[in-house]
Amino acid sequence: MAGAALRLSGVTKRFGGLVAVDGVTIDFAGGKLNAIIGPNGAGKTTLFNLITGEIPADSGRIEFAGKDIARLKPHQIVRRGVSRTLQIKSVFGGLSVIDNIRAAVLTNRGIKAPFRLVSSFKSVSARADELIEEVGLTGHRETIASALSYGDVALLEMALALAAEPKLLLLDEPICGMGPQETERAVAMIRRIAKRIDVILIEHDMEVVFDIADFIMVMAQGGILATGTAADIASNLAVQEAYLGSPEDELAC
Amino acid sequence: MNEFVLALAVNGLVWGLIIALIALGLSIIFGLLDVINMAHGDFFMLGTVGGLAIAVSTGSFWLALLIVPLIGLLLGAAIEWLVIRPTLRQASLTIVTTFGLSMIIQETVRATYGPQPRRMAAPIDGTIPLFGIDYDLYRIAAAIFSALCLAAFFLFLNRTKIGTWIRAVRHDPETATSLGIPVAQITAFTFALGTAMALLGGVIAAPITTVEFRTGIDILPFCFMAVIIGGLGNLQGTVAAAIMLAVLEGLVTSVVDPTTARIASLAFMSAVLLLRPHGLFSGATR
Amino acid sequence: MTAARARLICLIVFAAALLAVPHVLPAFGATFWVNIVAEILIWSLLAASVNLLLGFTGLLSFGQALYFGFGMYGVALSINNWDVGFLPALLIGIAAASAMALATGIFAVRLTWHYFAIITVVFSLIFYFAAMSTKWLTGGDDGMSFSPPPVLEIGDFSLTLADTTTQYYVILAVVAVAFAVKALIVNSPLGLSFKAVRENHRRAALIGINVFRTRLVAFVIAGALAGTSGALFAFFGRYASASYMFYHVSGEAVVWAVVGGSGALLGPLFGAGSLIIFREIASNFWENYLLAVGAITILVVMFAPRGIAGAWNDMLQALTTRSGHASDTVADTAPAVRNNALPEER
Repeated sequence: MAGAALRLSGVTKRFGGLVAVDGVTIDFAGGKLNAIIGPNGAGKTTLFNLITGEIPADSGRIEFAGKDIARLKPHQIVRRGVSRTLQIKSVFGGLSVIDNIRAAVLTNRGIKAPFRLVSSFKSVSARADELIEEVGLTGHRETIASALSYGDVALLEMALALAAEPKLLLLDEPICGMGPQETERAVAMIRRIAKRIDVILIEHDMEVVFDIADFIMVMAQGGILATGTAADIASNLAVQEAYLGSPEDELAC
Repeated sequence: MNEFVLALAVNGLVWGLIIALIALGLSIIFGLLDVINMAHGDFFMLGTVGGLAIAVSTGSFWLALLIVPLIGLLLGAAIEWLVIRPTLRQASLTIVTTFGLSMIIQETVRATYGPQPRRMAAPIDGTIPLFGIDYDLYRIAAAIFSALCLAAFFLFLNRTKIGTWIRAVRHDPETATSLGIPVAQITAFTFALGTAMALLGGVIAAPITTVEFRTGIDILPFCFMAVIIGGLGNLQGTVAAAIMLAVLEGLVTSVVDPTTARIASLAFMSAVLLLRPHGLFSGATR
Repeated sequence: MTAARARLICLIVFAAALLAVPHVLPAFGATFWVNIVAEILIWSLLAASVNLLLGFTGLLSFGQALYFGFGMYGVALSINNWDVGFLPALLIGIAAASAMALATGIFAVRLTWHYFAIITVVFSLIFYFAAMSTKWLTGGDDGMSFSPPPVLEIGDFSLTLADTTTQYYVILAVVAVAFAVKALIVNSPLGLSFKAVRENHRRAALIGINVFRTRLVAFVIAGALAGTSGALFAFFGRYASASYMFYHVSGEAVVWAVVGGSGALLGPLFGAGSLIIFREIASNFWENYLLAVGAITILVVMFAPRGIAGAWNDMLQALTTRSGHASDTVADTAPAVRNNALPEER
């Protein structure tokens, strides 16, 4: 996993007159836990949306695994190994936990058979059970996703992201809305995962970010304000000003 | 031959103005409540039936012209409250609800009024020489009256408090609520207004069309064409599209049969839906 | 006794009842009703095509009558012009409908929400008008009739549709196969991808599903179901008519699907069955029974949006008390499409 996990060159996105992402150029190194922070409206989620192909970039290159993925469709980008969780946790509400994950595993393995029962694919169910264990949802196998607690939905979403066997995982505010216990669990899981998969996460909780991130990129007003380790960022005056400039409650997730 | 084509064009203009009125009603309902009103054509039909019935019983078409839209307001409010609002929870099924409503309205009319199509005598007799032919005076009057109603509608929307509230709720319901606008009542009123406009169109059209329980079936696709081609949320666009489509269809009918003309319009509408879903005219707010 | 076990038993009883119809009903002097049940079976396939799209893929099509029409005319035209046998005609009808579904679906499936519903109506209207105006080909409103070839001919022995019982069993066989295929698909990986797209199309794309392609596949399969319905209907009535391509037919199918239960496998059967039986009985003493149908539609959407099958499943679930577990029917028939658009998409 050495070498750049993701390379952005001059990535720009405008919405009408507003420049949401302004010529962002950066290399995210492999083998590290990367974090993107910044005040609200800095363009972090838009940047993620550009990387996952859900909105088209106006200009720039997004290089992943040696290929420019900027013009690809979201499902094609997922197939290449980039997975993502969303700010507002997003799963398949009407399906059970196991069916949620089975859907992801089946898609990952390219299984689209119309005339065999899902339950007949034993290795798929086995893998789904593995993932349930890994994220800590054991005991909720048959629960309908819409009946899960918020924290469990986040875990399920993580399982879905992992089921795509990603080489790069984008986490958009993974601990948003969690209590202290759930946060601990989630952070431990992210640490574990980051050992074998490249991770870039957007986060507002400074404590968590400074604790686990190897590399931090600070965004403000669509551009990169600063980059470096936790120590670098913590002592960076410009960063402090950017945050002080925004109202208190904007920092809340 | 020339006069014939001109007459068709003028006919198209007359109908275009009337349909613009109905389509506007459909548009504000679609725009604000997000409901595809499959019964909207039947509201038009109710206007024709009501217009004829009141004109016959009171002897005055003008009274019908006054009363029917008022009935429309009440009917629309009642339907919104009893039928639409409780089913808005199942947002994707509102089309099914309005389809059921359409069935009820058609059958009710068929049951009470009977299945026989009827014609109504125009309240204004006589013709007026126009481009070398003798054109129905009533149709001219209908066109002028419809145009006045359209103007009144836009004045209402842009200059009155309620009209401004309607525009606010259509644009951003959440902000509207926080500004203290009574969103629920505005929604009900919008549906009532849309209904009333369809009924008004029906009354105006009653003397120049057949009055029967099935009249709505034909009008509905045309209204949708106007709304889609004009652009959802673009009210002026809807008016322009309605007039344009009606005149074009009228002109095309001089060369091909009406069915082919209708197919062409529908194909055009499909193209707009697929290529420019916001309508032909820029300025759509959705 | 688990809910699944109870459902299986009910299914077997139901199937047995359907098999017994041509023998049992005449004993009650209701031979006429054998044909009614046959009609219900045919229409239930049209409702099933709506159900597959709405309940399982989250797309509300108001234009399935178009593919019904292609199935119908596929049979009628091929028999009248090429003198084909029963099975070839049936397959031609289904193939014609599926091809049409592919051709229109490529465009229609690009749209979502209300725009999808609108364009399905528009497409069906275009071909309705086209069929009406090409009277030389389609017979227009009056339609065209044909004599159905025998179903099976071995030497001197032949099975024809002239015999009510044979006709019933042929229809039952085809419909049963169609439902079995639908059941298999719905519970397969393909079916799971339909459900994923229905539940959350954004999340579906983010796990690697090609949402457009998935919806298109569902649309074509639904077209095939509608075409099968049309083909059977042509055989049943020995004729084809353009009037069956009008949006009222599509609308009725939607009503049957919703009343029956749009997320349930056999929902279409219950919906078509209950409303057609209602029609048969009510039309005898009330000419305007459609009023009641409209009212029932509205009431179902208001109070029982999961339809008859949904209520039935809930009851079975309650009686066999296993709460919080996944069932085959969906938790909510209203697709959550709206909530998953990107903020910029609106």
